[in-house]
Amino acid sequence: MAAQAQRLDQLAKVIRSKNAGPFELTFDIMFDDPAAYDWVKKSGVINAKRIAEAYRVRVDDVLVCRPYDAAVAFKITIRRPVSSGDIGDRDVYGCQQHVPLTQIEVPAFRAAAG
Amino acid sequence: MDEIVGLAPSGSMGSGYNLEAFERGLAANPHFIGQDAGSTDMGPYYHGTGTPFLPLATYRHDLSFMLRAARHRRIPLLVGSALTSGCNSSLQLAVRIVGEIAREHGLSFRMAVISAEIDKADLKRRLARETFESLGPDGALTPETIDRCGPIAAQMGTEPFIRALDAGAEVVIAGRACDDAIFAAMPIMQGFDKGLSLHCGKILECAGLSAIPYDLAEPLLGRVRRDHFEVEPCHPDHRCTTVSVAGHSLYERGDPCLQPGPGGMNDLTDATFTQLDARRVKVSGSRFIPDATYRVKLEGAEQVGFRSIVIVGIRDPVMIRQIDSILEEARQRAEDRFKAAGAFNLLYRIYGKNAVMGPLEPEVETRSHELGLVIDVVAPAQDLATGIAMFVRGTLQHASYPGIVTTAGNMAYPFSPFGIPVGPAYRFAVYHLMALKDPCECFPMTIEEVRN
Repeated sequence: MAAQAQRLDQLAKVIRSKNAGPFELTFDIMFDDPAAYDWVKKSGVINAKRIAEAYRVRVDDVLVCRPYDAAVAFKITIRRPVSSGDIGDRDVYGCQQHVPLTQIEVPAFRAAAG
Repeated sequence: MDEIVGLAPSGSMGSGYNLEAFERGLAANPHFIGQDAGSTDMGPYYHGTGTPFLPLATYRHDLSFMLRAARHRRIPLLVGSALTSGCNSSLQLAVRIVGEIAREHGLSFRMAVISAEIDKADLKRRLARETFESLGPDGALTPETIDRCGPIAAQMGTEPFIRALDAGAEVVIAGRACDDAIFAAMPIMQGFDKGLSLHCGKILECAGLSAIPYDLAEPLLGRVRRDHFEVEPCHPDHRCTTVSVAGHSLYERGDPCLQPGPGGMNDLTDATFTQLDARRVKVSGSRFIPDATYRVKLEGAEQVGFRSIVIVGIRDPVMIRQIDSILEEARQRAEDRFKAAGAFNLLYRIYGKNAVMGPLEPEVETRSHELGLVIDVVAPAQDLATGIAMFVRGTLQHASYPGIVTTAGNMAYPFSPFGIPVGPAYRFAVYHLMALKDPCECFPMTIEEVRN
């Protein structure tokens, strides 16, 4: 239900994508509020299956999907469907592929406090 | 010696950097200046052709200040991955620029030049003896792939840099190198912990990108000590925070904690980030775990054809509503017209619709009142690619579709000429690990006494 859910970009400070070498695309979801990070972490919405759906890759091609407490961040890495700059590639740096992550819905954080 | 201080002018040579902040960095008495000058990030063209990403004048500008500063203070300057792919021809361009700057300013120094390009015959002999683990390309690496590639280089670790410094080099110009190795060499050489040195190098290689505000062109200082390192931006109003530094530890790396490199893995699992004051962050706990076999990463790009493009704008709303079917009809006509010419690839990049994400685009409805279209053709010959792109353009220009009102032409051209031959097109085909007996064995060094 929309009223009880928030999009990830309402909670995270940074949601970015970038190549990690020409064959992988890596995503960082970073928070400035540790409580919001913990909330998203506990909700479990960021998982390999959800990422595989968003990027239409096999779950096996989600190479990393995990929280990283030291950076108050989630780290996600997928195999690039097309390597950087190959025929059919659309984003050589891979730095504009983050939008599907911004739309992931999370149970509303601090809903009671408004 | 209780610390080694490294200064990184910028995250990418040629992009310019804040010279005032650089001077502030020099005032902190660094033991060396390190500069990364290459990457695979800009795609396979630069590895395929072996050409630098930027015009040489931009590298000359950036190098001139750091070379003069290093000589003035009598500290080593280490440059890695010169220039872009770090192959021999681009390395020699960097060496030439260094020579020109030295003559212009009357500088004398001992220079080590370390090459990273692998002789293809040697590579094939190695390939016949062992398998190279792929870090991406499908299928096994073959001699044919090696032949189709431009120059193939290996990413050196810290050892070739250390050998150069041991030989008394005051300026080190290296071909393809791991970014962090440029900065980790000197602390490791002085006996500091390898894990901390590499982690500090990883933060320094992008310079101000790990500070707030994020800026690749802002110099950064790193101080490696016995049980920790510290990083600090040189700009007085910029700050490193635990989140910006820990966040940068993630940047462009697949795994947040386990970061493989030549000869082993840097394990950041137990790394802790502590805010020392408003602008400085202390890091400890990074650990280097050596591999049983020392392996380096090879990089090479193979040619897949020649690219030609046409760029146009479409403003008519009736055409925009039917864009997909109109484009597909033009594709059909091109395939019929050029079917005897061999296989080619036609990609429509429709800016304003889904050019950036293609089939992954979550927005299904196109709301743009105008579309930018790049007709992108890759074919076996340059003229053929241009011919196909121009045929598609011509077909679209006068295509008829239901409800058409603009019968004098369908597309706006931003400039003349229309057909742009882009040149050879490449894909990364070599991205494999190769075992070495000696970390320096495929990175030969020459020493030159530069006297002016």
